[in-house]
Amino acid sequence: MERIIIDGLSFSLPLFIMAIGGIYSEKSGITNLALEGLQGVGAFVGALAAVLAAGSFADQSQAPFYIAVIFAILGGMAYSLLHALLCIRFKANQVISGVVINILAMALTAFLTKYLNRSVFGAASDKFVLGVSARITVPVLSQLPVLGAAFQDLYPFELIIVAVALIAWYVMDKTRYGMNLRACGDNPHAVDAAGVNVGQVRLLAVMVSGGLSGLAGICFAYSISANFSSSIYVGYGYLAIAALIFGNWTILPTLGSCLLFGFARSGGYYLVQKLQMPSSYSDLVMTLPYVVTLLLLIFFSKYNRAPRALGEIYDKGKR
Amino acid sequence: MKKNSHIFKRTMVRLLGNERYQSVSVPLFAIALSLLAGAVVILFLGKNPLVAYQNLLQGSGLLPKPSYAGFKSMLTDFASFLNAWTPMLFASLSVAVALRAGLFNIGVSGQMLTAGFLTTLIVGYSSLAAPVAKPLVLIVGMLGGAAVGGLIGWLKHQFNINEVVSSIMLNYIAQYVISFFINTYYVNPVSRQSNAVSKAARLTLMDTPVGNLKMDIPLGIVLALLAAFMVKFLLDRTVFGYEIKCVGTSRNAARYAGIHVGRTMVASMVCSGALAGLAGVTYYLGYFGSIQPRVLAGTGFDAIAVSLLANSNPLGIIFSSFLVTIISKGSTYMNSSSGLESEISSVITGLILLFSACGAFIRYKVKEFQDEQKEETERGKG
Repeated sequence: MERIIIDGLSFSLPLFIMAIGGIYSEKSGITNLALEGLQGVGAFVGALAAVLAAGSFADQSQAPFYIAVIFAILGGMAYSLLHALLCIRFKANQVISGVVINILAMALTAFLTKYLNRSVFGAASDKFVLGVSARITVPVLSQLPVLGAAFQDLYPFELIIVAVALIAWYVMDKTRYGMNLRACGDNPHAVDAAGVNVGQVRLLAVMVSGGLSGLAGICFAYSISANFSSSIYVGYGYLAIAALIFGNWTILPTLGSCLLFGFARSGGYYLVQKLQMPSSYSDLVMTLPYVVTLLLLIFFSKYNRAPRALGEIYDKGKR
Repeated sequence: MKKNSHIFKRTMVRLLGNERYQSVSVPLFAIALSLLAGAVVILFLGKNPLVAYQNLLQGSGLLPKPSYAGFKSMLTDFASFLNAWTPMLFASLSVAVALRAGLFNIGVSGQMLTAGFLTTLIVGYSSLAAPVAKPLVLIVGMLGGAAVGGLIGWLKHQFNINEVVSSIMLNYIAQYVISFFINTYYVNPVSRQSNAVSKAARLTLMDTPVGNLKMDIPLGIVLALLAAFMVKFLLDRTVFGYEIKCVGTSRNAARYAGIHVGRTMVASMVCSGALAGLAGVTYYLGYFGSIQPRVLAGTGFDAIAVSLLANSNPLGIIFSSFLVTIISKGSTYMNSSSGLESEISSVITGLILLFSACGAFIRYKVKEFQDEQKEETERGKG
């Protein structure tokens, strides 16, 4: 039972922060299917920084992890500029742009990982080995019955994510920029008439989504896979999109749907272990988050209200 | 500086200005840009890009290699290239049909896998004779693909679920469920892949002696080329094709015109799925003879590049899929002969995608330059 909560949280929180990034972008009116690629490139840049930095720290040092987080955020942001360029400046179809960026991200990172491993580190390998980050337990709270498990064996990144999520919520709901951003997704012409640059607001929103996706990507790399390789692309970006659609483009319900995905996954693994099924059954468990997503979308997408100008290219002359 | 930009604009207009040829010239421009970008990357890696591109052609059997193993020649390489081209052509047509209806079928890989797996089970492991087995493979494959494609269309129509999200979910579900079945029941302990299908069901005649060569003769390529013309006819010359185009251009306008938007969307996804199914059987029962668990074919994703590049025109797809197959097929030989990572080929394909996504922007810019020039000449006259 405790393991379900611990593992579930460590999966849902990165998913949640990526979904928040998606909310930022989509609320501003830019459809963002590129989350998958953004988290991959972010994780790649972060992992590269960590591997390069690892030599100058002691073996047990956690410093490379924090370096990786910072670089992952920067990397995700930088790569998201491409999506912004295509969608805002080049007025390309946003769905196509997102998918293109994902495919390019997969190709680029797979190629660069292999190339850098060979030329810089002198090893024929297609991954950067990172290890799993250390875990911490919050002293008093973890003694609580049942809920205490949520405070046991935390990855440090879970705390970072909670802090970032709070800031993201505050900016979105309580600041002038957040208001402009939400207005851009519903009625960009009104925003323009109020003297705010629509393109700029959207650019920032896409960059936020890039940074947060990068953060999520490096968290996945440091927990689930313990390395960076192309196996980072297993559709978590699309899961995050499903989570935010299911959460109706608002932050708190999205957290709910992310937790649901996380617990569905960790619960499934727990079952496979508990019933001592052969390991090939874990393949079936892997499908659980996807199946849950589809079912939830079937039941709930009728009640959804997407931002009105979502996916529309902003054209000043149009009314 | 100003003069330079003037010359640049003039050349752009001269190259791409003629609207009649823009459907060809803009994609060619995108290809040239991406090959150029790829060349810069290769140069940066310290290799000669011309040699690398030549290797791509050699690996595809379009240029002679310096030496060949026994029973091999340029012809066998080319036959093997055709073998790889077949599923790519089908998959790209599948993407194109959906794109015409305004739907983005990114689930081609999942549909290919589902169709390939079902066909392998039903026909591939049976002891049917070749004349029965081969047509049956095609039919089962089409049905399997059509069912998954139709499901995506139905989910979109009935529940308004974004087709990209649902098809990605179905991709992963298909991948893991099928991997489970293969690993549990049908795994070949040596190759770690599914057991090979029977020779009668195979759509490629493997190692057939022709003269002093041993060739892999792909039967599907004839069908794939035929399919391109049939899809062209379907989209441009039939009522159904017209309805698809209407729905793709403007759903509201189509609804006012009395077209059943939902039904058309589902039907176009069924067509798209069926084509993806054909891609699946020519891939898993033609090019390969078995299924590798837990892996989705990259073909389904490359097909998006192909289709965008050809502006989802079926006849254009014949050419663009030819090109993209050269890049992916030739990369193995490029890797072995010039030591470049074969992943560079998917980077080039990705770049082609990127530049062809900017096609609308290129057209818009060229038009702008044109108008500028017109204004200038008029001012010169006045």
